Amino acid sequence: MQVRVLQLVTVLAALVSWEVVARAGWVDPLFVPAPSAVARALLRIGGTAFAGLGDTLGKTAVAYALSVTLGVSAGVVVGSVRLLRDVMSPYVIALYGIPKILVLPWIVLLLGYGTTPAVVYGALHGLFPIMVLVMGAVRDVDRTLVTVARSFGATTWQLYWKVLLPAIVPSVLAGMRLGIMFCLLGVLVVEMFAGVRGMGYVMGSLANGFQAPELFAATGLVSAASIAIVLALDHLNDKLSHWRG
Amino acid sequence: MTAARGELIAIEGVTKRYLTSSGPVEALHDVSLSVGEGDFCTLIGPSGCGKSTLLGMLGGLVAPDEGRLLVDGQPVTTPDPRRVATVFQDAGLFPWRTALQNVEFGLELQGVPAARRRRTASELLGPLGLSGFAEKYPRELSGGMKQRVAIGRALAIDAKILLMDEPFGALDEQTRVLMGEWLLDIWRRTLKTVIFVTHSLHEALFLSTRVAVMTARPGRIKSMLELSMEYPRSMESPEMAALRAKLWSEIREESLRAMR
Amino acid sequence: MRVLWLRLGLLAALLAVWEVAGRAANPLLAVPPSAVLPALRDLLLLRSYPELPASLWLTLREIGAAYMLAVAAGLGCGFMLGMHRLVGRVWGPMLAALYAVPAVVWYPSLMLFFGLEAASKIAFGFLLGFFPITLAVLAGVRQVNPQLVTVAHAYGAGAVTVFRRVMLPSMLFTLVGGLRTGLALCVIGVIVGEILGSKAGIGTLINHAYGLLRTADYVALVLVTLVLVVGSDVLASLLERRAQRWTE
Repeated sequence: MQVRVLQLVTVLAALVSWEVVARAGWVDPLFVPAPSAVARALLRIGGTAFAGLGDTLGKTAVAYALSVTLGVSAGVVVGSVRLLRDVMSPYVIALYGIPKILVLPWIVLLLGYGTTPAVVYGALHGLFPIMVLVMGAVRDVDRTLVTVARSFGATTWQLYWKVLLPAIVPSVLAGMRLGIMFCLLGVLVVEMFAGVRGMGYVMGSLANGFQAPELFAATGLVSAASIAIVLALDHLNDKLSHWRG
Repeated sequence: MTAARGELIAIEGVTKRYLTSSGPVEALHDVSLSVGEGDFCTLIGPSGCGKSTLLGMLGGLVAPDEGRLLVDGQPVTTPDPRRVATVFQDAGLFPWRTALQNVEFGLELQGVPAARRRRTASELLGPLGLSGFAEKYPRELSGGMKQRVAIGRALAIDAKILLMDEPFGALDEQTRVLMGEWLLDIWRRTLKTVIFVTHSLHEALFLSTRVAVMTARPGRIKSMLELSMEYPRSMESPEMAALRAKLWSEIREESLRAMR
Repeated sequence: MRVLWLRLGLLAALLAVWEVAGRAANPLLAVPPSAVLPALRDLLLLRSYPELPASLWLTLREIGAAYMLAVAAGLGCGFMLGMHRLVGRVWGPMLAALYAVPAVVWYPSLMLFFGLEAASKIAFGFLLGFFPITLAVLAGVRQVNPQLVTVAHAYGAGAVTVFRRVMLPSMLFTLVGGLRTGLALCVIGVIVGEILGSKAGIGTLINHAYGLLRTADYVALVLVTLVLVVGSDVLASLLERRAQRWTE
């Protein structure tokens, strides 16, 4: 409780001192507008910003659905077949590690401007963290549990359905939490690089137009949205993994 | 008293080798053993003598390199939950299932309808001493309780044979003794045939109708001990003390060999 | 051994598919590996982009600056949050929440602040590298066994000795891991920054090649950049291994 109060105090103190500094004219309002100016700007661009945010979140949702589906299924298959895992894992980890931005120009070249490259690039971003986590989780499933299930006569199908999949639920959820951030990041990057709509495009144009208050408002809006999404996933995580304690 | 009953398990000249980085290692060498219906047969011996391997073969999880294993006159090739149920040393409970759901596991795999398997599992919880714990997850249970859930899971599928691989090995001494008493009670009520692996002389003498002492690697049956005393047994009787000394001298010799 | 061959086989198969597909496709959109090699040769001989060394050098300096700032701020912030329990409990979760925001949302603001020159790339690289380092320090401080600290105090060790002899060795593993992740993210941050908008650096060259549809040059530049990315990580992993040996 005390912690919550202090967190609130921190945020308020930061806002107030920022406002004071801006009003006193210690910083150039062209670059650092006061919070009150940002709030007014939010009202001004509200319609555009929310439309942009909706567009971005829509693309993110599609990209996310793709990367979760592909990441989990590929992770389970590659993780549970020993040979596949040994052969593929260095490649998967390497693909996870390299900056995806390097292929962005090529994706835009191939798919043009618009929704498709954003979805593809967002999905590409989300896919690998999920796949890496799921692969690791499948590899690390307690062997005793598999032996137990076999001794009770489990079929291969039952091994996957009743042992492997429930066992990796926590890792799938951790991957989904990581994945949503990566998907959103990917979509925003495409929108900034070659967008015609969406929040990334809106923010890029505001920056180019030196509209600092509006830009700050838009930035705050996206940040709030992504924090809200992650907190919601955390909540879901707690609910679905209650057995872990 | 054992010979009078029919033979249920026959192990005939079984040998098992494992490939390790330092070459092949023979875990079991020409092991033969016959167990009658209703027996409580304990395997005891030094670490690494292949007791668990032998149990794994009976459970159909490990294939022998030579020899064969028969249950009910039929060779064991794959796990057969209709005849054999196994309890492992590490309880191996599914952490995402409640105690009740864990007990139901085997029945669920066999496709028993939900209501019926729930009833069977619930009825087991009483004798398991877990009446109030049906909805608890494994992490909320003590070591002894977990092991009882694991035993309940094995009992639920109502196989004739119960294989127990050091089921109480991870428990503290007091819990262990109490669990032994409890298991004895369960065994005498359910009339299962039990093959029990342990390191504990106390458990072997307190529970078994027969004790097989195994040699250090490669494991062979060194000697068989038939115990015909009535249950529950007094561990302080002179007869028991003599048996204990005899058993210990045999195991001691093998354990010393295993340490070298 | 078999696994190694299969890995190489997979790579060869992918290259073959790329070659076949690349030859069939529009040369503006896709280039086969056989066309990349001459482009790579021209690039390395400074025929296609004579400014390559200068660009690489600029990018490297941006990365260096971003990383130094991120390490300094990350260590400072991490220890401040880690050492004071209340400060950590109040600001730690706020920091973690901020980490949940995709960092790229800050980039337009950084461009507005710092312009299209090196400063905005340094700032963005710093921002990406700062979080993992801070969070690693925080996690590391929590790993220190308080009993060891008490024992050290009981033997009359001062704060500096306790830090050097007890805390640092127990948290080093996590700390160095964070420093490695931080470097990787600094590198990515600078490259992302350059590609999203810049006037010089390797990212600018990539944008240039892409803009003029010089696809073979683009792929060659990407390969050179990958060497930079992988090289920095290999360097970091060598340092990581050294630090691990030092703790043992």
